[in-house]
Formats: sequence, structure tokens, C-alpha cells
Amino acid sequence: MRASTANKATHSQLRQHNRQLLLRAIYEGVADNRAALAQETQLAKPTVSELIGELIDEGLLVEEGRGQSTRGGGKRPRLLRFVPAARQVIGVSISEDHIMAALAYLDGRIVARHYTDLGGARGEDVIAAVGETINGLIAQLDAPLLCIGLGVAGVVDAGAGMVIHAPHLDWEQVPLARLIADMYDTPAYLAHSTALVAMAEYVYGPTEPVHCFAVVRVGSGVGVGLVINGAIYHGGGEIGPLRVGDRLGSLDTLLGWPCVRQRAEALRREHAPSLLPGEDEPLSYLHIRHAVDNGDRAALALRDELSRHLAQVFAWITGLLTPDHVALAGPITDLGEPLLEQAAAYTREWVGADPLRPVSFSLAEAPSLVAVGAIAQALHRELGLV
Amino acid sequence: MSATHLGVITNNQHQVFQRAVIAGIRQIAEARGYDLVIDSYADDEAHPRPITLDYRAVAGVCVIADAAPAGLLREMVGAGTPVSLVSHQVPGLPIPSVSADNYQGIAELMRHLVVECGRRGVVFIRGVGGQWDSEGRKTAFGREVMRYNLDVPPEHLLRGDFSAEVAARSLQALIASGAQFDAVLAADYRMGIAAVETLRRAGYAVPESVSVVGFGDAEEAEAAGLTTVAADIAEQGRRAARQLISQIEGLPIRGMTVLSVRPVIRDTSLPDGPARAGRR
Repeated sequence: MRASTANKATHSQLRQHNRQLLLRAIYEGVADNRAALAQETQLAKPTVSELIGELIDEGLLVEEGRGQSTRGGGKRPRLLRFVPAARQVIGVSISEDHIMAALAYLDGRIVARHYTDLGGARGEDVIAAVGETINGLIAQLDAPLLCIGLGVAGVVDAGAGMVIHAPHLDWEQVPLARLIADMYDTPAYLAHSTALVAMAEYVYGPTEPVHCFAVVRVGSGVGVGLVINGAIYHGGGEIGPLRVGDRLGSLDTLLGWPCVRQRAEALRREHAPSLLPGEDEPLSYLHIRHAVDNGDRAALALRDELSRHLAQVFAWITGLLTPDHVALAGPITDLGEPLLEQAAAYTREWVGADPLRPVSFSLAEAPSLVAVGAIAQALHRELGLV
Repeated sequence: MSATHLGVITNNQHQVFQRAVIAGIRQIAEARGYDLVIDSYADDEAHPRPITLDYRAVAGVCVIADAAPAGLLREMVGAGTPVSLVSHQVPGLPIPSVSADNYQGIAELMRHLVVECGRRGVVFIRGVGGQWDSEGRKTAFGREVMRYNLDVPPEHLLRGDFSAEVAARSLQALIASGAQFDAVLAADYRMGIAAVETLRRAGYAVPESVSVVGFGDAEEAEAAGLTTVAADIAEQGRRAARQLISQIEGLPIRGMTVLSVRPVIRDTSLPDGPARAGRR
């Protein structure tokens, strides 16, 4: 009994894998007819025909005209085209104070986004809010829903679809992927939000595809996400609790927004008069940037400190992983290119530039990156695309 | 009226924005078997009448912008009537809404003015104080002023009230004061068109010496050659109708559906002209 179930699982996995091979070959423009697909994928022609028939029946492919005949003068093959509008995907980002979801076609084109303020909700109320946010986009579907991608900061077991520990949401051992999959009767995939930022930036960002792509995300805490050989590496996540040294404390106490706020206030008093907003006034990274641009000493000192702390993270990553590219993401990117340049310069100074493996750095500033990454991840898992 | 009717509350169904939203709502409603009941209570703006729509007698209600007071919205929610808002949100009330992305739109316009047109002295013409879109666009403008380190004195934030006449008067007063500026960003396209006309009448060369851009797009903006960010208003109506009908069908929805906007570079912004800059 067990062997038979295992065989079935293997057969269905193989079939799924072969479907993905074919779809991807057409999606990427590597092959556009059955014969070329058989040649490209090394699958038997009857297998290709059967699976292509299935994909056409499901609306994911259409036959469109005929191509050139082969050199031997054979029949002109029927051309196949991928239909991006055949299905839609929802990606969801769940953060401490809000949920942002995006609805996209299979080519990643975003149709609409949906924003829900959590208003301090915690625990099960957040799960209800996730459902009511997804519903906002279910209402806007123009095609059947293929699957849902979910991103959460905290300790996440992506394989099991489980949020192990997310204290900011009061979540412990929440089987989020299963809950959402059951709610919508559709596959749901979970990953750490910073890993999804890495996926979004890798798939849709301006950087050329590279072997090892890392993202450092700095907001209320600090996270690292990795894409290795085009797939999310699920070993990243929160690194804020890591201690930098006995004297300095953890990364969260150096780069997490609550601590940056406190540090800004201390420097504002130390370098008075300062352009930085006072204790009771709103403060954002844009306020700090504005003060820096006007030569404010407190703001300049703060940016220098932040760039050194960031360089510490960059140095660890480059020293351990020698990635091809590191992108900085999160609200801290509002400090602009000078912060990144400063941090990159410190990193090179500390790590030493390896002329064979120059690491490049960039800012990842596009909006809704977690939700977009959740879409990319869902497309990767479900169809083998991206 | 019955469960096959959708209510629409608006101040004036004949204005450009409201008309386009209603057209979008109607398109989806009719396709899904609903008729519309429109309560447009201020068609005669000087003599608005009270809102009379019986929300208990319809399947659900779409409210355009801030046409219904918070008290009435609260009453409808309390009575279990499904409601969707267009370009509006009321803090504390669990009513979903549909809106254009004001932050993205203002960020696009400011990037265009500062980076592509090389402007730094930007005048901002505001919408109606307290109105959702208006406040969102004003806040977004403030963020971009910090991002680009611009010097925008308080007198460069002009009253506009989403009215061409008010915007023109405010700009005339600024010109008369001798203020120096090289760009105008209007919180809607009608005020943008009024700004172009006012500046040209006062002898300014647009876009050679002053760049003008506005939020939102329509045929009038195209005819005036105004650079804008296009928010598909009928699409907002269609999306709001889908949101409302989904609620009527039992889907609980919270939050705001946000639709992206698209920059449309025309003839009023780039000092060298869009054709020469290769961006039409």
C-alpha cells in the first residue's frame, strides 16, 4: 500500500516536472512547437504531445499559426504560445502593522494591489485580516486563481508552510500555508519576507541573473534573503538578534528602526541645533536624508554610523558567501545612494577587494517587493516559471 | 428598488470624475444583472439637497469620494448593508475601498519634474482640505520634497480645492507677489490646465521657463497637452462594483484596493519639448 502510494506520488511529481519543463521552454522562447520541445527537453514525443494537449485544454497554451517546415521539407509545425492571462496569482506580504497583497498575471504583470492596515491586530485577528485582504483581490480576479504566495518576517519553515515564531504578530506555530490553501482550495506557498524580496529583485529587478544574489532588508529589524541558482535559499531570515560585539549589542539595536530613532534623538541633542525633527515630531528616513543633504552634523553622523553597521552585515555576507550581488532593501533605502556607497566602501575596506569576484551593490526600491516576490515564488513552485 | 439594485451616492454625477466612475460601476453592474439607483444630491451645487437613498432597499451602496458623511456610512455598516468607497477611506470604519495610487502618482510627477525637467522650485496646488485623495497627494508631495531636498516655502503650497477657478486665482496671487518658481504640480488635471493658461496669460513660457504637470488624465488634459499621471477612473468604478458585488455575495473584505497610475509625458513639462527629448 505504502509502495503504491509512493509510486503514484513519484509518477505525479514526474508528470508535474515534465509539464514545468515544457511550459518553461515555451515561456522563455526556447522552443515553440512539439518537435522542438521534444528535442529541447529530451522527453519522448508522445509524452510531449500528451502534456501539451493537457496544457492547451487548461488554457495555459494556445496553438497559433504554423512555423517553418523542417530542412527535410516536413510538415510545417503548429506553433504554441504561452497565455499569461490564463491564470492569476496573489502574493501577500504580512508585516507588523499592515498587509499588502498584489494580484498578477502569469507574466508578473500586476493588476491591482490591496492594502489593509492591521490597526494593532494580533494573533488570530491577523489571520482573519489576511483572508479579508486576499478577498479584496479575489473580488478582482479576471481569470481562475492558480495559487497564493505568502511572505512573513520571523522564523519560518517554508517547506512545511509554517510560521514557527513571529512575535510581532503574536504567532507561534501557525500553519499559515495550509490555512490559506484550505480557505481558497488552492495551493499556497510560504517564505520569509526577505527571501521573497530577494526573489522579486532577482526575477523582476534590473540586475542581470547571477549565481548568488543576496538581499539585506532593514526596517524594524534586519533580515537577509538569498537566491542561489535562480531559487530561493530558505536558510536566510532574521539576523537582527546577532550580536556584533560585547560593547555594541545586536544588529537590531544598531539598525532596527526603534533604535535608529533613539540614536537620532541622542545625536540631535549632542549636535544642537539640528535639522532633525524633535522627539515628539514625526521622523522617517526621508527626514534624515533631508537633514544630511543640508549638511546637518547630527544627520551626517547618524548616516555614517548606519553605513558602518550595514557594512558589518555586508562584510559577513561577502566573507561567508561571496555573492555576486548584494541589494539593500527596506525603508532604509530612503537614505539613498550615498548610504549604499558609504557602506560598500567600508565593506571593501574591511573584507578586502577580491579582483576575481567583485561584489556589486544596489538599492532595491520598487514598491511591494515582498508581495511581488511571493508572486514570483508561487509561479516558480507551481508552474516552474521564473 | 430591490436586491437587484445597487445604490450610488455622489455629490454631482455630471462632473468628469464622478461621471467616469459611474460609467465603470454601471458596466459591471449591468453585466452582473444589477440596475443602478443614483443619488446625486448636489447637481445644483449652490442648492444641495439631503441624501435620500434608502440603503435598506438596495443590495449594496457605492459611495464616490467623500459624498456620504461618516455618520451615514456608520449607519449603513450597522444595518449590514454592503458598502464600497471610491477614492475615500474612513479611519475606524470597516468599509473597503478602491483608489488610485496617490503616492506613486505624485512620486512619478516629482521625479519627472526634478530629474527629467531639471526643476527645483516647485509650486504645489492642493485639492480640497480633508478629502482623502487631496490629503494623500499633499503628504506624498511633502515626502518627495524631502527626497529631492527642495526648498518649498509655505506660500508655494496653493489653495486649489480641485477647482480650476480657485487654482487660477491662487496662482495669479503668487505671480503678483513676485515669487520665483520654475514648476507647478497640480493635484488634479483641471487645476493643471488652469495653471498652464494662467501662466501663459501672465507671460510665462510653458514649458520653456515653467514646467506644469497635473494628477489624473482625461480628454481635456490631452487636448491641453498637459503632462499627467493617468489614473483610469472608469476602471476605479469597475473595480469598486466588483468589490461591492463580492461583498453582497458574502465575501468579507477589508482594506483598500489600489490601482497603479501611468505617467503621460506631453507638452507642458520638458523644457526642450517631449519630441526633442524622445519621450512622447
